[in-house]
Amino acid sequence: MMEGGFKRKNKAASEIPSSSLADMAFLLLIFFMVSTVFPKERPRRLDWPEADATKKLDEARKDILHVFIEEDGAIYINDMPVPPAQVNAVIQPIRTENPQLVIVLRADRDVTYQHVAGVMTELQEARTVRLTFYTSLEQRVQRERR
Amino acid sequence: MAVFRKKQRAGGDIPTSSMADIAFLLLVFFLVTTVFDEEKGLRIVLPEESEEVEVSQKNVYHFLIQPDGMVAVRMGEAQNETMVTAQQVGALWAQGFETNENLIAAVKTHPQAPYRFMIDVLDQLQGAGAEKISLQVLEN
Repeated sequence: MMEGGFKRKNKAASEIPSSSLADMAFLLLIFFMVSTVFPKERPRRLDWPEADATKKLDEARKDILHVFIEEDGAIYINDMPVPPAQVNAVIQPIRTENPQLVIVLRADRDVTYQHVAGVMTELQEARTVRLTFYTSLEQRVQRERR
Repeated sequence: MAVFRKKQRAGGDIPTSSMADIAFLLLVFFLVTTVFDEEKGLRIVLPEESEEVEVSQKNVYHFLIQPDGMVAVRMGEAQNETMVTAQQVGALWAQGFETNENLIAAVKTHPQAPYRFMIDVLDQLQGAGAEKISLQVLEN
Protein backbone atom coordinates (compact mmCIF):
# COMPACT_ATOMS: atom_id res chain seq x y z
CA MET A 1 0.00 0.00 0.00
CA MET A 2 1.26 3.37 -0.96
CA GLU A 3 1.79 5.96 1.67
CA GLY A 4 -0.24 9.10 0.90
CA GLY A 5 1.60 11.60 3.06
CA PHE A 6 2.51 15.10 1.84
CA LYS A 7 6.12 15.98 2.06
CA ARG A 8 6.93 19.45 3.15
CA LYS A 9 9.02 21.18 0.54
CA ASN A 10 12.28 22.69 1.60
CA LYS A 11 11.81 26.40 1.21
CA ALA A 12 14.60 28.92 0.97
CA ALA A 13 14.72 31.14 4.04
CA SER A 14 12.76 34.31 3.30
CA GLU A 15 14.13 36.38 6.15
CA ILE A 16 17.07 38.70 5.83
CA PRO A 17 19.72 37.49 8.24
CA SER A 18 20.10 40.10 10.91
CA SER A 19 22.54 38.37 13.18
CA SER A 20 25.49 40.35 11.79
CA LEU A 21 23.67 43.70 11.90
CA ALA A 22 25.22 44.65 15.22
CA ASP A 23 28.69 43.76 13.93
CA MET A 24 28.25 45.97 10.88
CA ALA A 25 26.91 48.83 12.96
CA PHE A 26 29.82 48.58 15.38
CA LEU A 27 32.26 48.43 12.49
CA LEU A 28 30.88 51.66 11.05
CA LEU A 29 30.75 53.19 14.51
CA ILE A 30 34.40 52.39 15.16
CA PHE A 31 35.33 53.81 11.75
CA PHE A 32 33.63 57.11 12.54
CA MET A 33 35.04 57.24 16.06
CA VAL A 34 38.57 56.67 14.77
CA SER A 35 38.37 58.93 11.72
CA THR A 36 36.69 61.87 13.46
CA VAL A 37 39.20 64.59 14.11
CA PHE A 38 38.12 67.02 16.74
CA PRO A 39 39.79 70.30 15.85
CA LYS A 40 41.95 70.64 18.93
CA GLU A 41 43.42 73.89 17.71
CA ARG A 42 40.11 75.67 18.00
CA PRO A 43 39.21 75.87 21.65
CA ARG A 44 38.50 79.58 21.47
CA ARG A 45 35.38 81.27 20.28
CA LEU A 46 36.28 83.23 17.18
CA ASP A 47 34.02 84.66 14.51
CA TRP A 48 35.44 84.51 11.01
CA PRO A 49 34.92 87.23 8.44
CA GLU A 50 32.70 86.28 5.51
CA ALA A 51 33.71 86.51 1.87
CA ASP A 52 32.07 85.59 -1.45
CA ALA A 53 35.42 84.78 -3.06
CA THR A 54 36.26 82.10 -0.44
CA LYS A 55 38.11 79.23 -2.08
CA LYS A 56 38.93 75.75 -0.84
CA LEU A 57 42.58 75.25 -0.02
CA ASP A 58 44.08 72.23 -1.77
CA GLU A 59 47.15 71.82 0.38
CA ALA A 60 48.28 68.79 2.34
CA ARG A 61 47.53 69.08 6.03
CA LYS A 62 51.21 68.75 6.89
CA ASP A 63 51.95 71.92 4.92
CA ILE A 64 49.40 74.03 6.78
CA LEU A 65 50.12 76.03 9.90
CA HIS A 66 47.33 77.86 11.70
CA VAL A 67 47.92 81.22 13.27
CA PHE A 68 45.05 82.47 15.42
CA ILE A 69 44.47 86.08 16.38
CA GLU A 70 41.83 86.68 19.01
CA GLU A 71 39.66 89.77 19.26
CA ASP A 72 41.99 91.31 21.86
CA GLY A 73 45.04 90.70 19.65
CA ALA A 74 46.35 87.59 21.46
CA ILE A 75 48.23 85.32 19.05
CA TYR A 76 48.22 81.52 19.17
CA ILE A 77 50.16 79.18 16.95
CA ASN A 78 48.79 75.65 17.25
CA ASP A 79 47.41 76.29 20.73
CA MET A 80 50.58 77.90 21.98
CA PRO A 81 50.31 81.56 22.99
CA VAL A 82 53.00 83.55 21.22
CA PRO A 83 53.97 87.17 21.93
CA PRO A 84 53.62 89.35 18.79
CA ALA A 85 57.36 89.89 18.49
CA GLN A 86 58.09 86.15 18.72
CA VAL A 87 56.00 85.01 15.73
CA ASN A 88 59.01 85.14 13.42
CA ALA A 89 61.14 83.11 15.84
CA VAL A 90 58.47 80.40 16.14
CA ILE A 91 57.67 80.14 12.43
CA GLN A 92 61.15 80.41 10.92
CA PRO A 93 62.35 76.91 11.99
CA ILE A 94 59.08 75.37 10.74
CA ARG A 95 59.44 77.23 7.44
CA THR A 96 63.08 76.08 7.09
CA GLU A 97 61.99 72.49 7.63
CA ASN A 98 59.09 72.77 5.18
CA PRO A 99 59.50 75.28 2.34
CA GLN A 100 55.96 74.45 1.13
CA LEU A 101 54.49 75.89 4.33
CA VAL A 102 51.18 77.71 3.99
CA ILE A 103 50.01 79.95 6.80
CA VAL A 104 46.28 80.01 7.41
CA LEU A 105 45.59 83.20 9.33
CA ARG A 106 42.50 82.69 11.43
CA ALA A 107 41.78 86.10 12.86
CA ASP A 108 38.62 87.23 14.57
CA ARG A 109 36.56 89.46 12.32
CA ASP A 110 36.61 92.29 14.88
CA VAL A 111 40.32 92.36 15.70
CA THR A 112 41.88 95.68 14.77
CA TYR A 113 43.99 95.62 11.62
CA GLN A 114 47.18 96.68 13.42
CA HIS A 115 47.41 93.21 15.01
CA VAL A 116 46.95 91.48 11.66
CA ALA A 117 49.51 93.77 9.98
CA GLY A 118 51.99 93.03 12.80
CA VAL A 119 51.66 89.28 12.22
CA MET A 120 52.03 89.74 8.45
CA THR A 121 55.27 91.67 8.96
CA GLU A 122 56.58 88.88 11.19
CA LEU A 123 55.60 86.30 8.55
CA GLN A 124 57.51 88.22 5.91
CA GLU A 125 60.55 88.29 8.19
CA ALA A 126 60.23 84.52 8.52
CA ARG A 127 60.22 84.38 4.70
CA THR A 128 56.77 82.84 4.66
CA VAL A 129 55.05 84.08 1.55
CA ARG A 130 52.08 81.78 1.09
CA LEU A 131 49.26 83.12 3.19
CA THR A 132 45.54 82.48 3.35
CA PHE A 133 43.07 84.62 5.26
CA TYR A 134 40.60 82.14 6.69
CA THR A 135 37.07 83.19 5.79
CA SER A 136 33.69 81.55 5.73
CA LEU A 137 31.44 81.67 2.75
CA GLU A 138 28.69 84.26 3.04
CA GLN A 139 25.35 82.77 4.08
CA ARG A 140 23.73 84.12 0.91
CA VAL A 141 26.31 82.42 -1.33
CA GLN A 142 26.04 79.18 0.66
CA ARG A 143 22.31 79.09 -0.03
CA GLU A 144 22.83 79.81 -3.74
CA ARG A 145 25.45 77.07 -4.12
CA ARG A 146 23.18 74.46 -2.50
CA MET B 1 10.75 8.59 46.24
CA ALA B 2 12.78 11.69 46.43
CA VAL B 3 12.07 14.14 43.68
CA PHE B 4 14.62 16.73 42.80
CA ARG B 5 13.12 19.83 41.51
CA LYS B 6 15.13 22.03 39.27
CA LYS B 7 15.48 25.43 40.83
CA GLN B 8 14.45 28.31 38.68
CA ARG B 9 17.46 30.48 38.10
CA ALA B 10 17.55 34.00 36.81
CA GLY B 11 18.90 34.15 33.25
CA GLY B 12 22.63 34.71 33.27
CA ASP B 13 22.90 36.05 29.72
CA ILE B 14 23.17 39.70 28.87
CA PRO B 15 20.33 40.53 26.48
CA THR B 16 21.85 41.30 23.10
CA SER B 17 18.72 41.89 21.10
CA SER B 18 18.96 45.69 21.48
CA MET B 19 22.68 45.79 20.72
CA ALA B 20 22.12 46.77 17.08
CA ASP B 21 19.76 49.56 18.16
CA ILE B 22 22.34 50.99 20.55
CA ALA B 23 25.09 50.74 17.96
CA PHE B 24 22.97 52.49 15.32
CA LEU B 25 21.99 55.18 17.78
CA LEU B 26 25.67 55.90 18.47
CA LEU B 27 26.43 55.69 14.76
CA VAL B 28 23.76 58.27 13.92
CA PHE B 29 25.06 60.51 16.71
CA PHE B 30 28.59 60.45 15.27
CA LEU B 31 27.33 60.92 11.70
CA VAL B 32 25.35 63.99 12.73
CA THR B 33 27.90 65.61 15.01
CA THR B 34 31.04 65.02 12.95
CA VAL B 35 32.23 68.22 11.31
CA PHE B 36 34.97 67.88 8.76
CA ASP B 37 37.03 71.01 9.12
CA GLU B 38 37.65 72.37 5.65
CA GLU B 39 40.52 74.69 4.89
CA LYS B 40 39.29 77.67 2.94
CA GLY B 41 39.82 81.36 2.61
CA LEU B 42 41.28 84.15 0.50
CA ARG B 43 44.74 83.31 -0.80
CA ILE B 44 47.50 85.86 -1.25
CA VAL B 45 51.23 85.68 -1.79
CA LEU B 46 53.29 88.01 0.35
CA PRO B 47 56.33 89.63 -1.24
CA GLU B 48 59.76 88.61 0.03
CA GLU B 49 61.09 91.01 2.63
CA SER B 50 63.82 92.38 0.34
CA GLU B 51 61.58 92.38 -2.71
CA GLU B 52 60.73 96.00 -3.35
CA VAL B 53 59.43 96.95 -6.74
CA GLU B 54 59.10 100.52 -7.94
CA VAL B 55 55.77 101.10 -9.62
CA SER B 56 54.50 104.10 -11.45
CA GLN B 57 51.87 106.00 -9.47
CA LYS B 58 49.60 106.13 -12.50
CA ASN B 59 49.24 102.34 -12.29
CA VAL B 60 48.18 102.35 -8.65
CA TYR B 61 44.56 102.33 -7.54
CA HIS B 62 44.40 103.33 -3.87
CA PHE B 63 41.74 101.94 -1.55
CA LEU B 64 42.00 103.57 1.87
CA ILE B 65 39.89 101.74 4.45
CA GLN B 66 38.62 103.95 7.26
CA PRO B 67 37.80 102.77 10.82
CA ASP B 68 34.06 103.03 10.05
CA GLY B 69 34.34 100.70 7.04
CA MET B 70 34.02 103.35 4.35
CA VAL B 71 36.64 103.26 1.61
CA ALA B 72 38.33 106.35 0.19
CA VAL B 73 39.20 105.61 -3.42
CA ARG B 74 41.90 107.46 -5.32
CA MET B 75 43.24 106.67 -8.77
CA GLY B 76 46.97 107.10 -9.33
CA GLU B 77 48.32 110.59 -8.81
CA ALA B 78 44.90 112.21 -8.58
CA GLN B 79 44.34 114.23 -5.43
CA ASN B 80 40.60 113.88 -5.14
CA GLU B 81 39.22 110.95 -3.17
CA THR B 82 35.78 109.42 -3.44
CA MET B 83 34.15 107.75 -0.48
CA VAL B 84 32.46 104.47 -1.33
CA THR B 85 31.26 101.38 0.50
CA ALA B 86 33.24 98.13 0.37
CA GLN B 87 30.57 96.57 -1.87
CA GLN B 88 31.25 99.15 -4.60
CA VAL B 89 34.97 98.42 -4.76
CA GLY B 90 34.69 95.44 -7.13
CA ALA B 91 32.81 97.41 -9.79
CA LEU B 92 35.22 100.36 -9.51
CA TRP B 93 38.21 98.05 -9.91
CA ALA B 94 36.67 96.36 -12.96
CA GLN B 95 36.11 99.79 -14.55
CA GLY B 96 39.67 100.89 -13.85
CA PHE B 97 41.17 97.60 -15.05
CA GLU B 98 39.35 97.94 -18.38
CA THR B 99 41.26 101.13 -19.14
CA ASN B 100 44.60 100.09 -17.64
CA GLU B 101 45.64 96.43 -17.50
CA ASN B 102 48.75 97.19 -15.45
CA LEU B 103 46.70 98.43 -12.55
CA ILE B 104 47.77 97.49 -9.02
CA ALA B 105 45.36 97.67 -6.09
CA ALA B 106 46.94 99.30 -3.04
CA VAL B 107 44.73 98.46 -0.06
CA LYS B 108 45.66 100.61 2.92
CA THR B 109 43.80 99.85 6.11
CA HIS B 110 43.59 102.12 9.13
CA PRO B 111 45.30 100.41 12.10
CA GLN B 112 42.14 100.80 14.21
CA ALA B 113 39.78 99.46 11.55
CA PRO B 114 38.32 96.01 12.20
CA TYR B 115 39.99 93.30 10.15
CA ARG B 116 36.69 92.33 8.48
CA PHE B 117 36.62 95.62 6.54
CA MET B 118 39.95 94.74 4.91
CA ILE B 119 38.54 91.27 4.08
CA ASP B 120 35.43 92.87 2.54
CA VAL B 121 37.60 94.94 0.19
CA LEU B 122 39.95 92.03 -0.59
CA ASP B 123 36.90 89.86 -1.29
CA GLN B 124 35.54 92.42 -3.75
CA LEU B 125 38.91 92.79 -5.49
CA GLN B 126 39.50 89.04 -5.80
CA GLY B 127 35.91 88.59 -6.93
CA ALA B 128 36.54 91.15 -9.68
CA GLY B 129 39.64 89.27 -10.78
CA ALA B 130 42.36 91.49 -9.30
CA GLU B 131 45.69 89.68 -9.05
CA LYS B 132 48.13 92.41 -8.11
CA ILE B 133 47.09 93.50 -4.63
CA SER B 134 49.27 95.24 -2.09
CA LEU B 135 48.22 95.24 1.58
CA GLN B 136 49.50 98.07 3.73
CA VAL B 137 48.74 99.95 6.91
CA LEU B 138 47.20 103.37 6.39
CA GLU B 139 49.48 106.02 7.83
CA ASN B 140 47.97 109.28 8.93
